[in-house]
Amino acid sequence: MENMNLLEVNNLSVALDDKTIFENVSFSLKPEEVLAVIGPNGAGKSVLLKTLLGFYEPKNGAITWAPDASYGYLPQRFHVDHYLPMTVEEFLRLKPNPKYSLREVLRMVEIDEHWLGKNLATFSSGQLQKILLAWSIIDQPKVLLFDEPTENVDVVAQESIYDLLHHLQDTLQISIIIVSHDLNIIYRYANQVLCLNHSMTCYGTPKDILTNETLSQLYGNHTYFHHHHIGEEHHH
Amino acid sequence: MSDIFLYTLISGIFVAAASGLIGSFLVLRRMTLMSDALSHVALPGIALGVVLHFEPILGGVLALFIGIILIWLIETKTKLATESVTGVLFVTALAIGSLLIPEADLLEAFFGSVQHITLPEIIIQTAIAIAVITIVFALKKRLTLFSIAPDLSASLKLSPAVTQLLLLTLIALTIAIGISFVGVLLISALSIIPAAAARNLAKSFDGFVCASIIIAIISLTGGLLVGNIYSLNPGIMTVLISAACFALSLFKRR
Repeated sequence: MENMNLLEVNNLSVALDDKTIFENVSFSLKPEEVLAVIGPNGAGKSVLLKTLLGFYEPKNGAITWAPDASYGYLPQRFHVDHYLPMTVEEFLRLKPNPKYSLREVLRMVEIDEHWLGKNLATFSSGQLQKILLAWSIIDQPKVLLFDEPTENVDVVAQESIYDLLHHLQDTLQISIIIVSHDLNIIYRYANQVLCLNHSMTCYGTPKDILTNETLSQLYGNHTYFHHHHIGEEHHH
Repeated sequence: MSDIFLYTLISGIFVAAASGLIGSFLVLRRMTLMSDALSHVALPGIALGVVLHFEPILGGVLALFIGIILIWLIETKTKLATESVTGVLFVTALAIGSLLIPEADLLEAFFGSVQHITLPEIIIQTAIAIAVITIVFALKKRLTLFSIAPDLSASLKLSPAVTQLLLLTLIALTIAIGISFVGVLLISALSIIPAAAARNLAKSFDGFVCASIIIAIISLTGGLLVGNIYSLNPGIMTVLISAACFALSLFKRR
């Protein structure tokens, strides 16, 4: 059981409105593994995550989740309407089948309990991400799918999210699929890296993948490794 | 106070509660203009009822049901801009309905005709209102999540298309039962204004929904009473009272 893959993806292709987003993607995810998906803007990374979640139908190929594989999802954007009247507690209680109590889950994501009575609209995007993280683990998923935000990111808050994710992965033994732009983070935390640019251009361990050659092939000749490209995706 | 007026008042409490409840989801989901346009589609159905001598409310329900299926198909199966298409479609329905309906009945269809309500109508309305309230409370989590974060609700394998159809059906039923009170033109006010006012007042979601229901009940029963006492159109009074509640809520805006 331990060695069984939680998720297996074979030759996956997805087209939206007759336009091919990506083709021939194959990978697998083992328990407690961290898989990072990297690639330039508009390469289809978010669509890949959403296809795994069942938002979109594959055009070709197969997605096979293990029968006991439950997942949680942290979307790239969680827009809270300024006037949305909802407290953190009410929001967290919307999740069906919770396995942890609110108190437990707040401790896991290092949120103070007095947040529970506060309105969602009063939090910053970094704080909302923590609340969303609490939301996504409260039913004890085996896999966490995390679509890293690209705009309005508070770098310090982002670092703390990664520390939290890493900590959760250690303590809860969950697997993580993360769409990320921060190659330093990937180098530190990921076991497997998948490069996506409309097709799968690389797949392997960070040590093998994160070479200047594969990266310039993936991103063009920018020195992407040293930069934090915040807010760029916005313009595409 | 006549018996029929008393029954109307009781029925009104349930209809208003259903409207306030559905209104809170309309406001969250930003469907207020859509539901306003949708309400116009009831008119041709009511016209058929008047012309062919069957209960107009049933014609209204039928027409609204066709309307929501159209909206749903446009939204889920086509790439047309839903907003503009529904605008075009339903104003056209309003025009056709106005053409069909006898001129003497037109004002009542537009602004409500609760003075001429019959006992069978009261019973049908109240039963539908209770059904709507029950369904919404039974599926409250699903509808709420869908309204505030469609992505999260989809990630729980709750089909957005199915939830949207459910919500549209509830909206259509709520519109149909409110029409005899406030008419085709004002019906959206019964759900939208209370919810908009409630949003200004509430900090929590439960508070928001409760406030919306209470404001809707105050508006409709107030409208019926004022209309009855001063021989004014109860539908118009209802809208004015709810608008006054909204104006007051602006002062308490959080």
